[in-house]
Amino acid sequence: MTDGDYRHLYVVMEQEEGKLVPVSLEMLCEARRLMDDFNIKYSSNEKVVALLLGDDVKEISKDLIEHGADVVVLADNPELRYVRNTIYTKLIAQIVTDQDVAAKVESVDVGNFKKPRYMFFAADSVGRHISSTVLAELDSGLASDINKLVIEDLPLTHQIKTAGKPLIYEKTLEMYRPDFSGFLWTTILCLDNRNPTIERDYHPQACSIIPGVFETKEADHARTGKVIEYSPRFDQKDLLVKILDRKIMKSEVDFDACKTIVSFGRGIKESPEENVKLIEQLASELDAEIGISLPLSKKPISINQTIDSKYFIPDRVIGSSGRKVSPKLYIAVGISGAIQHLTGMKDSEFVLAINPDENSPIKDECDMFIKGKMEDVLPLLIENLKTQKKVVQA
Amino acid sequence: MLTPLNIAVIVKLEPDFSEGNVSYNPDGTLNRAETKNILGPHSALAASAAFYSKVRYGAHISIGTMGPPNADLILQNAQQISDADETYLFSDRIFAGADTLGTAELLKTGIHKMQGKMDLVFSGHRASDGETGQVGPQTAWKLGFTFLGNVIDYEVDVEKRTVRAKRSVRLQGFYDIVEEVEAPLPVFIAIDPSYKPIFNTASQRLACEKYKKEANDRAQNFKQYLKVFNAEQLGADPKLIGLAGSPTIVFKVEKIPKGKAGRQAEVIDGSSKEEMVRVVARLRQALSTMVIK
Amino acid sequence: MEKYDVVIVGGGSSGLAALKQLSNRGKQAILLESGSKVGSKSVSGGILYSKKPKKANVHNVEDVYENFLSDAPVERKITKYILHSTSKDKVFSMDLTSAHEYEANFGYSVLMNKLNKWFADQANESAQKYGGGIIPGVHVRDIKWDGDKTIIYTDELEEIQASAVIASDGVNSEIANITGARKKFSPSELYQGVKVVVKLPEDIINERFGISSQEGAAHLFAGDVTLNHIGGGFVYTNQNTLSVGGVYHLDSLLENPVAPYEMINALLKNPMISEFIKDQVPVKKEIDKSLSKEEQIRIRFATTKLIKSWQETRDAILSSSGRDRLIKSGKYASEDEIRTQLSSLQTQMVDKYGVTLETDYVEVEYSAKLIPDGKRGRMKNPFIKNVLFTGDAAGRGIFIGPKIEGLNVGIDDGARAANAIADALEKNNLSHDSLGKAYSNSLEESHYTKDMKEIDKDYLKIFLVAAKDIPKDILSSKYGMIIKLMSSDKLRNLSVGFANILGYEKLLPLVESEETYVKVPMELADRLGEKITSSYTLTIPSIATRIGKLNFNDDEMPHIKVIKPASNFMKKMVTLCPTRCYSVENDKVMIQHEGCIECGTCSEETDWKHTRGEKGITYQYG
Repeated sequence: MTDGDYRHLYVVMEQEEGKLVPVSLEMLCEARRLMDDFNIKYSSNEKVVALLLGDDVKEISKDLIEHGADVVVLADNPELRYVRNTIYTKLIAQIVTDQDVAAKVESVDVGNFKKPRYMFFAADSVGRHISSTVLAELDSGLASDINKLVIEDLPLTHQIKTAGKPLIYEKTLEMYRPDFSGFLWTTILCLDNRNPTIERDYHPQACSIIPGVFETKEADHARTGKVIEYSPRFDQKDLLVKILDRKIMKSEVDFDACKTIVSFGRGIKESPEENVKLIEQLASELDAEIGISLPLSKKPISINQTIDSKYFIPDRVIGSSGRKVSPKLYIAVGISGAIQHLTGMKDSEFVLAINPDENSPIKDECDMFIKGKMEDVLPLLIENLKTQKKVVQA
Repeated sequence: MLTPLNIAVIVKLEPDFSEGNVSYNPDGTLNRAETKNILGPHSALAASAAFYSKVRYGAHISIGTMGPPNADLILQNAQQISDADETYLFSDRIFAGADTLGTAELLKTGIHKMQGKMDLVFSGHRASDGETGQVGPQTAWKLGFTFLGNVIDYEVDVEKRTVRAKRSVRLQGFYDIVEEVEAPLPVFIAIDPSYKPIFNTASQRLACEKYKKEANDRAQNFKQYLKVFNAEQLGADPKLIGLAGSPTIVFKVEKIPKGKAGRQAEVIDGSSKEEMVRVVARLRQALSTMVIK
Repeated sequence: MEKYDVVIVGGGSSGLAALKQLSNRGKQAILLESGSKVGSKSVSGGILYSKKPKKANVHNVEDVYENFLSDAPVERKITKYILHSTSKDKVFSMDLTSAHEYEANFGYSVLMNKLNKWFADQANESAQKYGGGIIPGVHVRDIKWDGDKTIIYTDELEEIQASAVIASDGVNSEIANITGARKKFSPSELYQGVKVVVKLPEDIINERFGISSQEGAAHLFAGDVTLNHIGGGFVYTNQNTLSVGGVYHLDSLLENPVAPYEMINALLKNPMISEFIKDQVPVKKEIDKSLSKEEQIRIRFATTKLIKSWQETRDAILSSSGRDRLIKSGKYASEDEIRTQLSSLQTQMVDKYGVTLETDYVEVEYSAKLIPDGKRGRMKNPFIKNVLFTGDAAGRGIFIGPKIEGLNVGIDDGARAANAIADALEKNNLSHDSLGKAYSNSLEESHYTKDMKEIDKDYLKIFLVAAKDIPKDILSSKYGMIIKLMSSDKLRNLSVGFANILGYEKLLPLVESEETYVKVPMELADRLGEKITSSYTLTIPSIATRIGKLNFNDDEMPHIKVIKPASNFMKKMVTLCPTRCYSVENDKVMIQHEGCIECGTCSEETDWKHTRGEKGITYQYG
């Protein structure tokens, strides 16, 4: 591989009906951080290039630049309104190997540009598949579900890659992914074969990134960048794939987006309406979504219609026959901790339980157990949260 | 005369993670030697998706897997689920260690070796170990098939040679979408974990029972339906498969530093105001730390 | 709309027998069962009888299934039948084997899940030849008549048209309710049966009950074990498990509510039963919490795996088929080798992981069901239009004293319904009245109907002979007259004849009383009984643990609605529901559906339905 063959970090954005999916900005911010360090370390000037595909999405470009993109390559076309795998894959592959685009990215003639050095995708339903097919088309390596990234010069001796010789792989992207057990980090590398018998370049080094692991920074309105418009070419055959219908399953309840979940169970029974109001207040203080334990979804407690239809629904049930959640903070109010419920929330980072009965099973699955009735404990807790928030903001 | 639908399913041998069957090493890594291997649950679901076509359309089904010699047992299992007509084991030491690109190349070659041109290929959403979910789409790409992922429902129009599928698109932190797509065959479908084949007339259900019985009978004599291929027989390009054809390697494995400590609950008196202050401080601390999933 | 000649609702032994018989007659029929597999919701005590009555005839299971005797997975052939009277630690035993053998070809102990699956395989294979078969996972929600069409609506499939319907959907028959064919059974017409299956290796069962692997024992219990209720307990030997349970009049339970799991526990704690069920049970050591989490998990998984291996090897070495299987597999060359391996596993378990072997019992499944009392509750005309009711759905079953027969009645009914329909199809006359009447007449001819209506004097004689050594003064003044009347053949024939004219129902309160089931047996035990001591204390699982072991597929839609939340009956349901689905909040009875085993105890004052297809309880043993 010669210098100049592989340059820049291309990040594939995701948008839905003209709105950016949050992970797009998270990826951009991390990309910015990595490339800033990279450019300093290697005295270079490689770019973060955001790929934006869609229909009538031009306005988003500004937001992308303000969050760290140096360049936005924009492909705006009605046929791109929704993701169709073959069309998107071919288009992305075309764009990232396009030498004209590369020249415009750098405003300098780098004649031998082949492919990006690095590529990022989102690890969601869309990105995981697009990343796979794009990398198959680009004939290079992909690591999925990544939550930590480091760029290093790595010394490596590998039977296949280096034919057993100790070599140094410069500017290698270390891609960390948590394994299935949750205990271990596996680091994946995408490396050229420098073994003379099977010599080949493998670029871009690509990965799909887990939503929610990287922080999004505030938009920097002072940042400027380039927008390159790209006119897509489509194969007629590929346009035969038709999207007939799209239904938004707006589950009112998006547990995945929340850092905190507050759940309640039959412990509310003594004064159901007052207790639910307290729980709503607590949830509001913590920006939390509200869940319930399974028995409540069968509506065993008579309560006013509004609360009944808002909360006592299967969509809010957390448990083995409902949703499984793993927020940073899980608060179980008046829940005894049946096995079915525990299965649904035991992967939460920090668990707080409030229950008058010290013998309830939930005590074994929580980090902090407040012994007391919710009518007494919740008001105290809410008051303290309000007070401490003021302190932080002050 | 309509040609019957020709379907392939690619499946994977995976460790059995259930308690009583799985073994872990002292350092927390999976002890593969002591853990039984089974047909991966997502692969099993893909096989049941193929079974739907067997019942509805009388499809011809082939199952293939890349694995060690003892992977033939999962082919038997998959045959029992799908009433497959043929099973294929692609086995050779040179295949081992391949990453997803190398595996996809091998599977593409293997599918070409199967009888007839494929109309539909099914795979699971991901494996329960590796869990990348990449092999499906990459194999689809190498085959040149339209790829549909997260499919929760599908129907085939055997005359028009098209597939209509419902897909579940989860954008994480956004809402979920159910998308209905129509694509001309051939198509590669990765089945969503929530998929369940539904037969909603009495006659379909009866046909189901009939094919289930045939599946059981076939699975009893599964060796009769099994073909085994090594690298040479497959004619795979050695530069594109196995370790040689794998861009990625596992560099290292280490403990995630902030592992979840075993939960030992601290009990707080709910009536104490001082304690409550401390609780809130602890909650704030919990919220501010980085998520390591 | 798809059309089938016959639709059978309910895949219990009655419905399956009907399906098989229709195939025997070359007729097309489909069977709809709500469980995900046939047999998954079946529960039985249970013993399956085949009878050879002197007069009248019956369709025995081996008549309907020609390969029953050679292939059916029954448990053991009962060769000993003993009635025990209990009072604390004293037991008085009466050998009633001759009563059990009266007019019987055989009685096999059975586990319903296994046996119904076999019935289903046979019936399905035959039915498929005639364009029919079994469809599991389907719940029938309605039947409508439109002109001469009968249309069946289900939760899962498109509508189905049928020429005739057989309703074999059990004691809580929704078809009976939907069609208005009969009212729900009242508590005085019902028993609540509750059971646990206990694991015990085959050889130990043989030794303990004094039988060979091909033989079985049935032990019945009355006295203080019933906690003052009318009914009794039983222990039946299966291949390598025991069925331990009780059957009690529901009105007796309503009068004096005791939770079903407490009724079982009373049985289990009886010293004779405790001694019957005991075994060597491995108990895990508490894992050192100071170890790292990974190490704790590793130890836990390793211990579980080791215990599993030990149990599997032990179960195999203690069973003749197990030994053969292991040796044939080539894994072991001889029984000694197996024993050595077992011993080594045990040493590992004990020495390496600190597992201890304690005396206790191993309970594997808790179940309950309602049983209709055929004497009181059977439908006089078990049909409506072209829907025929069989078995429990028709309220038919024979329960008097130690005579407990439900499965064989259901099978006989099923065969008769099948025949009636087959005849009608052949004559091309499916007019509702003639079909229904033909079926009804056929049932009247069944020996079982006779047994539900009248006392059999010859059966009675056996009882009296078995009881001849009991001192007369124990049987209270209430029975004195009866004893005199029964003392000679002639007198007995006269009295029985007279009683049968009077009507069974009039006599029953006398016979089925606390006197008969509790007081008299207790006195017998106190005075004549043997003392039995139990050598250990049982670890009885809590009801939460018992429920936790059951397999439920939760149906999001609630299937039962409480109609009268403040009634006395519903308040009693809080105690009488076998899986504690009811609780009282603010003086109103609330239901939680998680854990409902669909027994129907609460059905009288609820809008009661079964769960939808594939949902609800799935038993492993049944």
